[in-house]
Amino acid sequence: MDDRSKPSGIERAVARAFNRRRRLSRRAFLVGAGRGAVAGGAVLSLPAILAACGIGPGASPGASGGSVVGGDPAGTLIFANWPLYIDQDDAGKSPTIDQFSEEAGIEVDYQEAIQENTEFFGTIQPSLAEGQDTGWDMIVMTDWMIGKMVGLGYLEEFDAAASVPNFVANAGEKYKNPSYDPNNRHSVPWQSGITGIAYNPELTGRDITGFADLLDPAFEGRIGMYSDSRDSLSLALLHNGVVPADATEDDVRAAADVLREQAPLVRGYYGNEYTQELAAGSLAVTMAWSGDVFQLQFDNPDLKFVVPSAGGILWVDNMAIPKRAKHPADALAMMDFVYRPEIAAQITEYVNYICPVPAAQEIIRTHATEAADGGDQETADYLTAVAESELVFPSDEMLGNLHSYKVLSEDEETLWNTLMQEITQG
Amino acid sequence: MPGWLRRHRGVIPYLFLLPGTLWLLVLFVIPMLAMASVALQEGSLGTGYRLTFNFGIFPEVLARWNEQFLRSVLYGLAVTVLTLAIGYPMAYTIAFRGGRYKNILLLLVILPFFTSFIIRTISWKFILADQGFVLGALKDWGWVDEGFRVLATPAAVIAGITYNYLPFVVLPLYVALEKIDYRLIEAATDLYASRVQAFLRVTLPLSIAGVFAATLLAFIPAVGDYINAELLGGTRETTMIGNVVQSLYLTNNDYPQASAISLILMVGLLIGIVVYTRTLRGQELTA
Repeated sequence: MDDRSKPSGIERAVARAFNRRRRLSRRAFLVGAGRGAVAGGAVLSLPAILAACGIGPGASPGASGGSVVGGDPAGTLIFANWPLYIDQDDAGKSPTIDQFSEEAGIEVDYQEAIQENTEFFGTIQPSLAEGQDTGWDMIVMTDWMIGKMVGLGYLEEFDAAASVPNFVANAGEKYKNPSYDPNNRHSVPWQSGITGIAYNPELTGRDITGFADLLDPAFEGRIGMYSDSRDSLSLALLHNGVVPADATEDDVRAAADVLREQAPLVRGYYGNEYTQELAAGSLAVTMAWSGDVFQLQFDNPDLKFVVPSAGGILWVDNMAIPKRAKHPADALAMMDFVYRPEIAAQITEYVNYICPVPAAQEIIRTHATEAADGGDQETADYLTAVAESELVFPSDEMLGNLHSYKVLSEDEETLWNTLMQEITQG
Repeated sequence: MPGWLRRHRGVIPYLFLLPGTLWLLVLFVIPMLAMASVALQEGSLGTGYRLTFNFGIFPEVLARWNEQFLRSVLYGLAVTVLTLAIGYPMAYTIAFRGGRYKNILLLLVILPFFTSFIIRTISWKFILADQGFVLGALKDWGWVDEGFRVLATPAAVIAGITYNYLPFVVLPLYVALEKIDYRLIEAATDLYASRVQAFLRVTLPLSIAGVFAATLLAFIPAVGDYINAELLGGTRETTMIGNVVQSLYLTNNDYPQASAISLILMVGLLIGIVVYTRTLRGQELTA
């Protein structure tokens, strides 16, 4: 998932500028230098400033590879996740986190610090390049970013069989040994979802089946697309009959041509804001993420989500441990904890994305029955909707038509981003 | 006063300037140097950036993004004209006709500022949505075409920026107009000036300092604005240079290009303002 809700991203960026960053990396020199200048009257030479502005290379931290993290938890876990991506009660506390803290004796500092993969990566990359602790023990990144970070040697390696036994026992087969991280040496899934198409039948006047509908001039000015290059270009690639993972440069350029031709029809290129536009009726048909549509359907049951006939994307957000994290064993304990089916069910009941633990479905059904027996029909209906939805527990048929993002090289990434920016911004 | 200070009285003004100087040094000069350095680097986030003194980047980004630069300046000019056209009569009315309601009226002008900029702009999105309560109703009554929309158009972006920066224009204009001795205007009319002549030859020249401040306060942030273009526009026809910087920085991690654009924008605005100041000063003398 990418690029959720830009405006709040901006507000968060402002907030971030005002707090935290306990440890100084060399890149944070300017902050430190400024402080020094005020406190001690340190002399700042121009070369020193310029040197500090250099952004270090990403190569070589993998040199210490081979060793596997594990051992005993230290009692602290600093966990960065996306907004609204864990269960919360009315007081804003997470029952899952509280339960974990109590059981494992680990204090969890849970922060909704991630708005976008690249943006967040930009904040931790300088520390990683310098071989320093990023301040986070566990982060949640999308599959392609995991692939990239593994390649750069930015993630700690662990032995899932030994340290996260619940993952081995309970995760769905589709989530094990993924192409972006073979044998789950560095990551295990948190939640996943589908990039597909959502539409409002009242406004389209017909059923939508594939990407070709997003190119239909009949919907001019009422078509929504993602500004993210991976999502938009991947669906266009599939429309052209190319599996994203096998896409060559020519394939990507051809896909970009499709999007460029489509641009005059498009209402806007969105992050997460498309949900408001879809709910407000400004969009008739739009690219969408499954979990969003599932939640929008409670307000407008008419809204529909389809996997395009030519194929959609199954993306997976993964828990991982940044290199040189201070409390890796605590992170492993958390990973293992959320792979208990009852905990996975608890998170899914709130988050409504695709749960990597198939056994959670039965537990949610049981919770629904319990709620109905307890006389709380509203909760029972909600939980039944979660348990029976194809958007939360997709059928094998649906999963069969889904593909992964391509893990891009540095050059490919530049190409994809440049092509997409030409389409969205001119 | 300690003895050494008494002996070096000349130091005192500099001591008073010290906090401001440090502030500027730490929060302006150093970040500017950092930005200039980043603009001249080459590489990528994965492989690292290296300072190569790549001055070619400036003509490069100027050519690549000239359309967005131009659009931002045009939007900025449109916003400046609109805010003045709306703000001047407002400030005039409050200053000369406000009477005992002056303070309440001024409070009303800045009241929107009590809510976040972003919340206000997002509210407009809901109000003006294609099927929202305004356009939805108009469409139901058949007063506007079913496909009509306000959002995602240049007009929406310009209107949004105008709305957001209007108080910045009203306040300096009010201050300038408030200072004018009304008897001067009366004297002009006593000497057979028409009301229009009195306005053009007395009121306007006397308030020109306020107009100057107001135009700068509207134009500079308007050119750099990207929130309105993002929320009320969002199409490639409404992309402003600020949006380009944002995606280059946050999505593409292309720091050098983003920094180069920012520098060009700053220097460009600075030159524009110097020219504007000169022109206006000439005007003031002839008035």
